[in-house]
Amino acid sequence: MELTFDEKKGIKVVGFIGRLDGNNAKEVQEELLSNIELNDKSEIILNMPGCEYISSAGLRLLMILAKNLKMKGGIGVLSGMIEEVRDVMEMTGFSNIFKNFIDVETAIDYIQSEREV
Amino acid sequence: MFRVDLYPTHEKDGMKMRMGKALPFGTTIVPGGVNFSIFSRDATSCELHLFKKGEKEPYAVIPFLDEFRIGNVFSMIVFDIDYENIEYGYKMDGPNDPKNGQIFDKTKILLDPYAKAIGGREIWGVDPDWTEPFQHRSRVIFDDFDWEGDTPIEIDMKDLIIYEAHVRSFTKHKSANAKYPGTYAAIIEKIPYLKELGINCIELLPIFEFDEFENSRISEETGERLVNYWGYSTVGFFAPKAGYAATGKFGMEVDELKNLIRELHKNGIEVMLDVVFNHTAEGNERGPYISYRGIDNKTYYLLTPEGYYYNFSGCGNTLNCNNPIVRNMILDCLRYWVSEYHIDGFRFDLASILSRDQNGAPMANPPLLETLAFDPLLGKCKLIAEAWDAGGLYQVGSFPSWGRWAEWNGKYRDDIRNFLRGDCSAIRGVIERIQGSPDLYGWENRGATASINFITCHDGFTLMDMFSYDEKHNIANGEGNNDGGNDNNSWNCGHEGTTDNQEINLLRKKQIKNAITTLMLSRGIPMILAGDEFGNSQFGNNNAYCQDNEISWLNWDLLKENEDVFDFFKNIINFRKNHPVLRVSHFDSYYTKTGYPEISWHGEEAWNLDYDSDTLTMAVLFCGAKEKHNTEEDEFIYVAMNMHWEMRGYELPCLPDGKKWYISINTNMNSGEDIWECGNEILVGNQKEILVGERSIMVLIGK
Repeated sequence: MELTFDEKKGIKVVGFIGRLDGNNAKEVQEELLSNIELNDKSEIILNMPGCEYISSAGLRLLMILAKNLKMKGGIGVLSGMIEEVRDVMEMTGFSNIFKNFIDVETAIDYIQSEREV
Repeated sequence: MFRVDLYPTHEKDGMKMRMGKALPFGTTIVPGGVNFSIFSRDATSCELHLFKKGEKEPYAVIPFLDEFRIGNVFSMIVFDIDYENIEYGYKMDGPNDPKNGQIFDKTKILLDPYAKAIGGREIWGVDPDWTEPFQHRSRVIFDDFDWEGDTPIEIDMKDLIIYEAHVRSFTKHKSANAKYPGTYAAIIEKIPYLKELGINCIELLPIFEFDEFENSRISEETGERLVNYWGYSTVGFFAPKAGYAATGKFGMEVDELKNLIRELHKNGIEVMLDVVFNHTAEGNERGPYISYRGIDNKTYYLLTPEGYYYNFSGCGNTLNCNNPIVRNMILDCLRYWVSEYHIDGFRFDLASILSRDQNGAPMANPPLLETLAFDPLLGKCKLIAEAWDAGGLYQVGSFPSWGRWAEWNGKYRDDIRNFLRGDCSAIRGVIERIQGSPDLYGWENRGATASINFITCHDGFTLMDMFSYDEKHNIANGEGNNDGGNDNNSWNCGHEGTTDNQEINLLRKKQIKNAITTLMLSRGIPMILAGDEFGNSQFGNNNAYCQDNEISWLNWDLLKENEDVFDFFKNIINFRKNHPVLRVSHFDSYYTKTGYPEISWHGEEAWNLDYDSDTLTMAVLFCGAKEKHNTEEDEFIYVAMNMHWEMRGYELPCLPDGKKWYISINTNMNSGEDIWECGNEILVGNQKEILVGERSIMVLIGK
């Protein structure tokens, strides 16, 4: 799994490329946390079109990230998930942890509108 | 937190381990590793075999050292395991002496009886590699599902309306329009439908891991593959059927099933599981080593004095349920499903086997059943017995209950079917059944809620077939039409099978309406077979246990075709919900504050039913006092049943001053005029008498 870090309109965009599973969940978590801060100002988009598979361990990593963000008052959303990954997330009950947008632009629009609220 | 036991004490071939925790059995994820624990009374040694998912050869074989055994339990923590991607099994050595009950074979790789997920059949119907000796492969799971505050919903037993469904049959047909047909996930798509129908409990046919390929064969008649479709043959009691999960191929069946349960609960629908503890998938002497027989044959199975398997299940072997070890396993299993999956209740297949002692003889107070009745974790969950077995024990009405166990009431099915098809001798039974079967459940602190009333279930004809076939048509099962019951008590309404004859088709629909009206107006817990609400057919097959095709799959196109039947079901379910006098846990029938008895019986003359003669014309009057049932007004429900082939007049009982009779239901009328919603009932013109059409039921309410 490869992670890319980018910033658009002040929002962190993390690209996930490859498979997110038990083999790399721990490293992914460490890499994420060393590149983004989780606090009440955090605005993070997890951009997933390059992610072809998320295992149980991967889903749990995302969930823990979401819960931490929520607890600290930040915003995190998903964008561009391929259909199969999105379906797996939905069917296993992990889909309501993050809002999910078709692409990064829509996700940015959402976060910006949330700022105004 | 720091613990001093997080460090390996031993190392072998690069694998690190230490003595484990003996309890709980099975696997538990612990910091840094996985705890493995397994029981065997007579094993002399035990090896843990670790595999990468799907691989033939283990990547590690770790013998349990002598110092890792406490009593008869082998336990060990293995460190640094990528537990998401492994499968494991055991090999055990010990006596191989069939006459004395033990048949250890150290070459056989064995499934963990406590495996919480099982690989090998992840995608339904995909042929496994038959050269692979390890067919059913134990896996380790995450048990940290986020329930978001959900718990079992504890609907009062008296208010329950059960819907019996097979996970795959429910949405497999293309007409179901499910994205992932035949899966747990697809049931979620049907939740709005189930809510519209009005049921509040879904009972799933077995969902413990089973092998659809068990006894699979090609039908000589149809050339189709016949499979173990219903799944009444457990491979592992703690693992959900992976092939029912759309995400089974990713090993996520546990989360998918939990998500389904959470969603059903959010919508007020309980989940009941049909559980099969009477036998396992290992079959008889010629069956495969999957798990139990290679671990402790003598403990897990009932054996004859010569060491052969008793076959009270009709499936080759009988689980030794009242052995203390097996009893504990069953208890662990049910506790696990209640606490980890939030299951609301269980229906026990061939439950009478659970009352047999270790020699197979029925016991008066079977310890297993008593344990389940009083267990704290199961304290609020529903326990329902199929109160018979294949060894000749028939306990409907006498299943040991401690006031906790309900029963599938087979007599309800038989009596009501006979009455509906015009057997006048059924009348005395029908009178008992409508009251909730006080003849069966009138003692030992039981009541109407001990009776699960049903006219159809997975076993037998569908409701439409009950009025379309005189005889079973099971040729496709490949057993020369010898399988399946012959005591269907069905009636084809004049033609065997489908027909263009409009009169017959109308009669069939009317009979369906008569049946569901009777079911919903009986005391006790009604259970509906999925698909009956839109006239689903199995084409006369009354034993579709092996049919993974259109015979079993619900045809949702019929919902459009039989919309009137669906509407009727919906409305009659609602009628039941509106009238608490029908939903009681007791048998009260004495005089109430209304001045009327709570239940009274009538013939063509009011207050005059001749109990001694056979008849097809009968009426029942329910009177519920508002104080007792907490309703705005006293309830008066008069149900006139005419199973005669001619129209009959019924004298109406007088109502208290100021009240009048209104028609709520008349199954003799066409759709749109057959059932009236609450508040829209039709005033009866002649308040003294009504005419009830041939083979029809009228329901009046007094207001």
